[in-house]
Amino acid sequence: MAMMPKRVKFRKSQRGKIRGNALRGNTVTYGDFGLQSLEAGWLSAQAIEAGRITASHSVRGEGKLFIRVFPHKSITSIPAETRMGKGKGEPEYWAAVVKPGMILFELGGLPEATVKEALSKVAYKMPFRCRLVARRPSIG
Amino acid sequence: MAQTVKITAKSRPEKGANRIARLRKTGQVPGILYGHKETPISISTSHDELFKAVTHGTRLVDLETDGKLEKALIREVQWDFLGKDVIHVDFSRVSADEKIQVTVPLELKGVAPGVLSGGVLDMPMHSVQIECLALDIPESIKINITELQIGSVIHVKDLVALAGIRFLADADAIVVHVIQQKAEVAAPVEGAVTEGTEPEVIKKAKPVAEEDEE
Repeated sequence: MAMMPKRVKFRKSQRGKIRGNALRGNTVTYGDFGLQSLEAGWLSAQAIEAGRITASHSVRGEGKLFIRVFPHKSITSIPAETRMGKGKGEPEYWAAVVKPGMILFELGGLPEATVKEALSKVAYKMPFRCRLVARRPSIG
Repeated sequence: MAQTVKITAKSRPEKGANRIARLRKTGQVPGILYGHKETPISISTSHDELFKAVTHGTRLVDLETDGKLEKALIREVQWDFLGKDVIHVDFSRVSADEKIQVTVPLELKGVAPGVLSGGVLDMPMHSVQIECLALDIPESIKINITELQIGSVIHVKDLVALAGIRFLADADAIVVHVIQQKAEVAAPVEGAVTEGTEPEVIKKAKPVAEEDEE
C-alpha cells in the first residue's frame, strides 16, 4: 500500500523547483549499505512501495530495510479530455522530492553481495540513476 | 591500537571559496590545524593520502607541516554531497599522554545463533564514544555475538573495555540485539493511510462569536 501523510495543512502544493544537491539525508545512517540517488526528481509513493517490495522479496525477510524518504508532496493533475482553466487539478498521487545524493533505501545485517544484488534490483525500479554506497567510518 | 600514518601538509595562504575550489582541483584538500592554545594554521594536504587514511579508520596521524612534525587527531572530515571526496579536514594537536574523547566503530564478531533460527540482527548503535589516551585509540570495539539468541540484547555496559578505555555512551543503550522477524504487513510505515482516501486537512478552530454574549 502506497504511503501518504496522515494529516496535511493543505491538500495541494505548488510544483516548486529542485535546486542544488542533498546536504542532509545523504549519509548511510541506520543500515550498512544504502541506495543513493544521483539525480533530482519526484519519487512517487508507488515507486517507493515497488522498491520496498523488491528489496523484501530479494532478501527474503532477512536483514533490516530502512526507507529514508517519505512522500510529503501531493501531485495534482487535470483529467484527460478536459478544457484548460477551471482551476488546479485534483491530487493524483503523493511523491517525495529527491535531490542528488539523497539516500533512498538502506539495508543492514546482511553480507555485501546480498545487499548489492537486492539494491541493484531496487535501483531498477527507481525513476533516476542510483548507486550503492557503504557506511563511512565515523569520525568525531 | 589504531595505526599511525604520516601525512604531509603545507601551510596555505589561499583563502576564499574560489581559491579553495582551484586548490581542490589540484588534488589538495584544505584543512586546519588547531589545539593546545597555539595559533590555528590553515593547511592543505594531498587528497589521496588523506582519503586512504580516513577510509582505513586512521584517527591519529603524524602531521608534518612545513617540516615541523607533530601528533594530530583527525577531528572532523567534511565530504562532498555524494560522499565520494573529502572537501575539508580538521586536525587537532594532541600529545601522547593526553586523554581524549573519540568515536570508534563497533565491529561484530561471529554469527548470532538467533539469526540462524530466523531472527533479524538489529544494530542501533554503529559507533561508540570513548575516552582514552591519544596513543591508545583502538581501531574498533569488537563485539562477540556468538551467544546472541532471539530476544537477547547487548548493552553498552556489556561491552568489553580494553585497558585504559572508558565508554562515555549511556550504559543502558542497546548496541546490538536479535529481534523476532515480523510478518510482512500491508502498511509497513507509520503515517500511511489507505489508498484512495485523502489525508485529513488541518483546519484552524473557528473563534467563538463574542456577539452572542451582548
